[in-house]
Amino acid sequence: MANPKIIVVGGGLAGLSAAIKVAEMGGHVDLFSIVPVKRSHSVCAQGGINAAKNLKGEGDSTWQHFDDTVYGGDFLADQPPAKAMCEAAPGIIDLLDRMGVPFNRTPEGLLDFRRFGGTLYNRTAFAGATTGQQLLYALDEQVRRYESEGKVTKYEAWEFLSCVIDDQRVCRGICAMDLRGMAVHTFPADAVIMATGGIGAIFGKSTNSVVCTGSAQSALYQQGAYYANGEFIQVHPTSIPGEDKLRLMSESARGEGGRVWVPKQPGDKRDPKSIPEGERWYFLEEWYPKYGNLVPRDIATRAIHKVVYEHNLGIDGQPMVYLDLTHIDRATLDRKLEGILEIYEKFVGDDPRDVPMKIFPGMHYTMGGLWVDFDQRTNIEGLYACGECDHSIHGANRLGANSLMSCIYGGFIAGPHAVRYAQNIIKSGSQSPQTVYESERKRQEEINTRLMNNDGTENPFLLWRELGDTMTKNCTVIRYNKNLQETDVKLVELLERYRHVNLSDRSMWANTSFVFARQLYNMLQLARVIAQGAAMRDESRGAHYKPDFPERDDANWLKTTKAYFAADADEPRFEFDQVDTSLIKPRPRRYDAAT
Amino acid sequence: MANSKTVIIKIKRQQTPESKPYSEEFELTYRPGMNITSALMDIAASPVTRQGKVTTPVAYDSNCLEEVCGSCAMLINGQAKMACSALIDNLKQPITLEPFSKFPIIRDLQVDRSVLFENLKKVKGWVPVDGTYDLGPGPRQSAEEQEQAYPLSRCISCCCCMEACPQFNEKTGFVGAAAISQVRLFNTHPTGKALKVDRLQALMGDGGIQECGYAQNCVEVCPKDIPLTRSIADVGGQVMWQAIKDFFRT
Amino acid sequence: MASSASSIDTSPARIQKGVAPLRAGQGYSFLLRRLHSLSGIVPIGAFLVEHFISNSEAVNGVQAYNDQVKFLTSLPFVHVLEWVFIFIPILFHALYGIYIWYRGESNVGEYPWTGNWLYTSQRWTGIIAFIYIVYHTYNMRFTGVHLMGGGYQYAFSKVWFDFQSPWTVAFYVVGIVAASWHFSYGVWLFAAKWGLTVGANARRKFGFVCAGLAVLLVGIGLWTITGFTRTPADQVPWVEHD
Repeated sequence: MANPKIIVVGGGLAGLSAAIKVAEMGGHVDLFSIVPVKRSHSVCAQGGINAAKNLKGEGDSTWQHFDDTVYGGDFLADQPPAKAMCEAAPGIIDLLDRMGVPFNRTPEGLLDFRRFGGTLYNRTAFAGATTGQQLLYALDEQVRRYESEGKVTKYEAWEFLSCVIDDQRVCRGICAMDLRGMAVHTFPADAVIMATGGIGAIFGKSTNSVVCTGSAQSALYQQGAYYANGEFIQVHPTSIPGEDKLRLMSESARGEGGRVWVPKQPGDKRDPKSIPEGERWYFLEEWYPKYGNLVPRDIATRAIHKVVYEHNLGIDGQPMVYLDLTHIDRATLDRKLEGILEIYEKFVGDDPRDVPMKIFPGMHYTMGGLWVDFDQRTNIEGLYACGECDHSIHGANRLGANSLMSCIYGGFIAGPHAVRYAQNIIKSGSQSPQTVYESERKRQEEINTRLMNNDGTENPFLLWRELGDTMTKNCTVIRYNKNLQETDVKLVELLERYRHVNLSDRSMWANTSFVFARQLYNMLQLARVIAQGAAMRDESRGAHYKPDFPERDDANWLKTTKAYFAADADEPRFEFDQVDTSLIKPRPRRYDAAT
Repeated sequence: MANSKTVIIKIKRQQTPESKPYSEEFELTYRPGMNITSALMDIAASPVTRQGKVTTPVAYDSNCLEEVCGSCAMLINGQAKMACSALIDNLKQPITLEPFSKFPIIRDLQVDRSVLFENLKKVKGWVPVDGTYDLGPGPRQSAEEQEQAYPLSRCISCCCCMEACPQFNEKTGFVGAAAISQVRLFNTHPTGKALKVDRLQALMGDGGIQECGYAQNCVEVCPKDIPLTRSIADVGGQVMWQAIKDFFRT
Repeated sequence: MASSASSIDTSPARIQKGVAPLRAGQGYSFLLRRLHSLSGIVPIGAFLVEHFISNSEAVNGVQAYNDQVKFLTSLPFVHVLEWVFIFIPILFHALYGIYIWYRGESNVGEYPWTGNWLYTSQRWTGIIAFIYIVYHTYNMRFTGVHLMGGGYQYAFSKVWFDFQSPWTVAFYVVGIVAASWHFSYGVWLFAAKWGLTVGANARRKFGFVCAGLAVLLVGIGLWTITGFTRTPADQVPWVEHD
């Protein structure tokens, strides 16, 4: 039997995990990535990766991890895959350890674990404060090994444009563009795995990398894939506001004892070190005595928002609060957090070992994504998705250090399932005519030609800034229906203006602004899914918070939002699925009291 | 505004690999905390030169913008640096931006650095695990061993060490400090050791470790402060021993 | 299976080749570079030290100097020794060194740091020392009175007459400084490259040792020169020039 040929789109943790599994099972992988895979956004993950190894004598268990995950996600996650991930997690950590990830060690030489948000256990394995980088490198090295054995072919500097879908609605490959020669090609495959990560660029400035535009997910949504739970956007409580992006300040800073506070006196201009304990307000510790600074991210973010905008206690009247590590000794900080402290030092110019950091919430992660079933299949046959770009595992809010695990777990499920599916396809001899590829290529080339020759006055980079401002203002921490509806109106306006985009660069060689303009269209379409999904969901759950509907409403909204694209109307439509809560009965989510 | 501070940036540009390079100058409004990548974003949003000529956005590589992906390396005021962590406040004006000079140019500030990834294949930069199925925990390692390995493992493949090295050029085909340092990393790992001989013998090939001239620019420019010269000395010794063993064995 | 991607765009072919990847397992440059490095220590470096020490006999007067020369020139197989241990190694070291220089691209302008200056200085001191050595060898070994056989008694005089020109003395000073520097930094490089000084601290400390060695050699050299320049003419045996 011929070896299955699987296309993996995206070279972050999820894509590389999937590629490794496929290669190991004898399949051939065509791996597509915009950037060299070693530069994927997974490198930015800092704090760690969760697995209930119970090496600290705390009685931790995979069930407890599962319970924390589901509870942290406010019961919106389908429970069987979340449970499966938590059960697979300790084995995945062992594998990463064997691959040479330099995890921090205990004096006995075992893996060290630290605490993260949303749990009372030390469950987070870490490699300094650049865990994502270290995990990505370990997988990248294994893929490079397969590449040198001819089992993986990399297509780096290629942009995914669309899937090739035949008349039976089966995915038969992809259509992609070479980012240098700008030529459009189709690539046949027996199955396709999407691992295209986050969507931060839709919010303008976020903690995400430049390539995290969500363009690929949006293209698939426009081709008929369901996009689920899009309204659930994680805003990380501690990011460093910057000119070009919001840089993440890892939750591990709090995991290692960092404390969040503001001066009790509004507009206090004193040097933070000179402010006595009694005049500082450690609001998280006061409001959430049990979890303290390690409440889940949605809770911490809203608390910071409240302190800044309702109590008017932002530092210097600005939207910022202190994250303080200065009470911890330098050696410990350097051993466990050096990577992130270095970021603060380099980009802000202050040494966080001496001076409390100034931080503010920033858009960080999408819990929603391409809808997948428990085997990581999308609703398009032959098309799989894993990692941040899928909707599973995290429900309404993701716990810190669960994303690295969900990426690898998702890849490890998607890979083998895609191979088995592909083997059946080959056995059945099912094929698609050449014309299917030709017509998809033509369709994409026409989009390119139209955009390249467009005559108008709109600058795509300025349109993008407007998109980001609107989305950040209306679709992040606090949501009001009126603003959400205005957002959709604005998005329709931007889509209309997009038709008049004028490219200042019309060359056909490494034209980065052309590529960006192309992505922008997809961002705008996906933004509508987020805004409309948020407008519809009249409740508060996890990261989705509406002051007008402050309570969780299980009777009406314990369900998965599934958006699909109505091509004729050029807008999203919505369906809703029941959430599989077969394992843990939903209970109220309260971090301020014992549960 | 008359009194608003500005930033002047001169960029060496080139449309295609075949065409001639030229220079363009931009004047941007200064904002506190500004870095080179945000300046390049400003130019993209309004691609007009200081002389008022409408031009195209500058092509450059970037991704994470927090100095961990290794994308945005370029020559800033003549030196190899990461554009994201290059703060305008710390740079002498007018600021010059040029592409790396020792890598094939793609466009403007974009170059092709795939040679490093090829080199990592040649030195077998990986731990040869049996498979991804569950085989229990990895070998125990002391905290000290982890603290040795971790800094080496933080290499972001930016290629600054190679660009700044006088020995890294088309005449020598030198492998460069980054790959040598990875050899040290994998040769230290309890399982990675299995390929130690292969790696050392690879480094004896043309373009291998012998080309190092110890100018030590690598360790100076490395944005991640990796002890590269130590790696070269350490691996240099390993290669020497291997060469002596090979000489008397074969 | 249907295939439409039979001819993937060859746009990467438009991009120049650039620096070649490592040629694992190919070529002899490792051997040659290591021989080059080694030859600088033994025999060249060893000879250099011996030569400095032997010549320093000049400060003990004409007789002492000439006796030392007599001892050296009467070593068995002296012609073989000088070709195998001196001339051929120096020629190899110099010519291959020039080849190494040609292949490097010094960039102290962009990266004006100590290590980089030393890298560049190693090339310049090398070429200066080589030019000096060629002159010195030609002058002392291949022209004028031949010091082998019975000519040793004119050894001191030969140098003394040469030193009557201040230009020659200046050239000798430059040559001695260049050779001392080149050798001492070469010792440091040898230790670093052969993995003897692995840690940054070890390299720094050994750097002081090598700097001391350089100072010592230059000191011996200059002191030796004064041995000739301070000797009055009436103490120097007359030499018939052909």
